[in-house]
Amino acid sequence: MLKSRWAGAALALSAVIATAGCGAATNNTANAGNAVQNTAGATTATAPITINETGSSLLYPLFNGQWIEAYKSVDPNVSITAASTGSGTGIAQAIAGTVQIGASDAYLSDAQMQQNPSMVNIPLAISAQQVMYNVPGLTGDQHLKLSGDVLAKIFSGKIKVWDDAAITSLNPGVKLPHQPIIPVHRSDSSGDTFLFTQFLSDTSADWKNAVGFGTSVSWPAVAGAIGVKGNDGVVQALASNKYSIGYVGISWLDKATQQGLGYAALKNKDGNFVLPAKENIQAAAQAGVSNVPDDERISLIDEPGANSYPIINFEYAIVNTKQPADMAAALKKFLNWAIDPNGGNKDQYLSPVHFLPLPAEIESKSQAQINKIGG
Amino acid sequence: MKRVSSRSKIADQVFLVATGLCASSPILFLLVITGIVVVQSIPSIRLMGWDFLTSVTWNMGSTYGAMTVKNGVPVPAGASYGALPFIVGTLASSVIALLIAVPISLLTAMILAYRVRGVVKSALSIVVELLAGIPSVVIGLWGIVVLAPWVSSSLGPLLTHVGWVIPFFSGPVGTGMGLLTSGLVLALMVVPIITATTRDLLEQVPILYREGGIALGMTSWEVVRLICLPYIKEGMIGAVALGWGRAMGETMAVLMVSGSAINYLPQNLYSPISTMAAVIADQLDSAMTDASHMAVHALSELALVLLVLTLLTNLVARLLVNRSRGTRRAGMGVKAG
Repeated sequence: MLKSRWAGAALALSAVIATAGCGAATNNTANAGNAVQNTAGATTATAPITINETGSSLLYPLFNGQWIEAYKSVDPNVSITAASTGSGTGIAQAIAGTVQIGASDAYLSDAQMQQNPSMVNIPLAISAQQVMYNVPGLTGDQHLKLSGDVLAKIFSGKIKVWDDAAITSLNPGVKLPHQPIIPVHRSDSSGDTFLFTQFLSDTSADWKNAVGFGTSVSWPAVAGAIGVKGNDGVVQALASNKYSIGYVGISWLDKATQQGLGYAALKNKDGNFVLPAKENIQAAAQAGVSNVPDDERISLIDEPGANSYPIINFEYAIVNTKQPADMAAALKKFLNWAIDPNGGNKDQYLSPVHFLPLPAEIESKSQAQINKIGG
Repeated sequence: MKRVSSRSKIADQVFLVATGLCASSPILFLLVITGIVVVQSIPSIRLMGWDFLTSVTWNMGSTYGAMTVKNGVPVPAGASYGALPFIVGTLASSVIALLIAVPISLLTAMILAYRVRGVVKSALSIVVELLAGIPSVVIGLWGIVVLAPWVSSSLGPLLTHVGWVIPFFSGPVGTGMGLLTSGLVLALMVVPIITATTRDLLEQVPILYREGGIALGMTSWEVVRLICLPYIKEGMIGAVALGWGRAMGETMAVLMVSGSAINYLPQNLYSPISTMAAVIADQLDSAMTDASHMAVHALSELALVLLVLTLLTNLVARLLVNRSRGTRRAGMGVKAG
C-alpha cells in the first residue's frame, strides 16, 4: 500500500515533469509555424493521466501482464499502474479514493453499497473454479463426480472417508480408498473462498445456516483439515498430501494437473455432472445473463442449464463514480475498452489467464454503469 | 574569532535539536502505534469483553447479510470473536521453539566462546549470524517443501511411540502442517539470536574464575556448570526472553506451515494451529470487506494482545540482562581492586 502510494507520487512527479517538457516542445513547434506538428503537439499537451489499480490477485496478471501494455497504444496519454493486494484492500482503497479501480472477485455487499452509494461494480470478465483432489489410483481422465451437498459435508467433517456411501453412490464403479479425507481451504482472504462457500451455501441448507459465505469464513472445526495461503499453497498442499481435497482458481488448472491432481465433475442445477470446460462455463454465463440486475451485483453460482458449470463468477472493477472530469473521461475510455470484445475482452488477452469474455448482453449493462462515472 | 564562535553556537543548537528529535522518535513511534492499536480495539472490546480471550469461535458473521446490534455495537449477524486458539497457538509454538532452541544455542555458544579460536571462531560466528539474516519467507518455503512432509512421514510417526507416556504426543500425525513444524521452524529462527547473546555473556565470565575452577581440578563440564552458568544465569534468562519475543511475533514462516487452524484448540503435537501474527496477516484483507469494520477492530485487539505479550517479554528480558551486566561490572571492580 505504502509502496504503491510512493509509486503513485513518483509517477505524478514524473507526469508533471513530462508535462512541462511537452509544453516547451509545443511552444517551439508553434514558433516554427508548422501547422501539422502544432496539432500533434497540442494533443500530447493535455495532462497525462495515471489510473491506479489495486486488488484481486486473480485479476492482477490480466492488468499487469496484458492490459497495461496493450492500452499504451490505445491511449498513450493514459498510464495504468497495477498492484496485487487482495480484493478487500482493492475495494477499501477504491472507496477511500487512493486508487481509481479496485479489482475484486466479489461484488460489494448491500451494507457496503448503502455506506458508499457512489460506488459501481463493473464486470470485466468471467472466471471459474474447480474442485481438485489427490486420490492415488484414479487415472487422469477419470473425474470424480461430486455435488455441493457432499462437498459441504466433507468440509464440515460429516463425511470423513473417501469410500463414504455418499461419495461412492455418486461414483458407481470407481474404487475409492478407505482413507480419511484431508480438506484444504484458503487461510487468506480469497475470491476463491467466496465462490466456493457461495456454491456450498446455494446447494446445502446446513452450510448456509452454519457457515455462510464470504472472502474468508469461520470454517467448521474438522480435525486434520488445513488452511493454506494462496492458490499456489493449495496446489502444493494437495500435491504433497494424499487423500486431500480443495478448491483452486481456473487459472491454476494446468499447473495443478501437471502435479498429478485430479479435478471433479460437479453436479449442476439440472442434475448433470459437468467439467470446468470453456463451453460449460460459457453455457452457465449465458444462462445467468437474463437475471443480471442493472447494478450487476449478482452471484453466477449454480445457474440452470444442462451443460452449465456451477462455479463461475464475474471479475469486477469497483469504481467510485465521483471523479474529476479528466480522470472520469480517462476511466470511462479505459473501462469501455476493457469490456469491448475487440478491446480488452479479446481472447488474446483473456486466454493466458483462463478468463472468458463477457456475454454481449452484459456489455451494454456495463456501459450504462460506466457512463455514470463523472457525476 | 567572534564569528566562528557564533557559527559554532548555531551549529551546536542545530545539533541539539536534531539529536533531540531523532532520539525522541522511538518513544513517539511506540506511543503512536500503541495508541492507534488501543483506539482501534475499543469497539471489539465493547463487543466481546473478556470473552475475546477465552472463547474459541472466530466468526466475521454474514458480511453479505443484514446488520444486527450486539452489546450496543453494529455487527453482521453471527459475528463473534474469540482469540483463544490463536493465543494458545502463539504460546505453544513459541514454547516448543524455545525447548528445542535453548539447549542447541547454549551448547553452540559454549563452543564459540571457549573452544574455538581465530579463523574458525569468526567463521562460525558469522555463519550463526547469517542464519539470523535468512528471510523468514525462505524458511517458510523450506518448511512447506521439506520439513512438513518429513514431519508427516518420519518424525511424527516416530514421536507417536512416546504417546503412551505423554498423551499429547500420540497421533494422528496428519499432514505435517501444524504445531510441531511451526515450533521447529521458529526454533531455527531463534537459535541465532539466543546463541549470539549467550556467546557474549559467556565471554564476559572473568577468566580468573574459570582458571580457578580448572586449578581446583574441575572438568570442562564442571567449570561450565558450576562457574559459568551460575554467573550468566540472569543474562541467560534475558537471552531466552529475547528469543521468545521473536518467536511470538514471527509471522510469515509460521503462516506457511501452521495449517491455519480456526475455531479449535490443538488436539495433539501435530494438530494445525494459528498464531496471532499469522491471523492478522491472513485475515486483514477480508476484514476490510466487513461494512461494520468490526473485523478490523477485532484484528486490532488481537494485535494489542500480541503487542502487550511481546513488550512484556522484551521488557523482562532487558531488565534481567541489565541486572546481570550490573553484577558483572561490580565483580570486575572487585577483581581490579
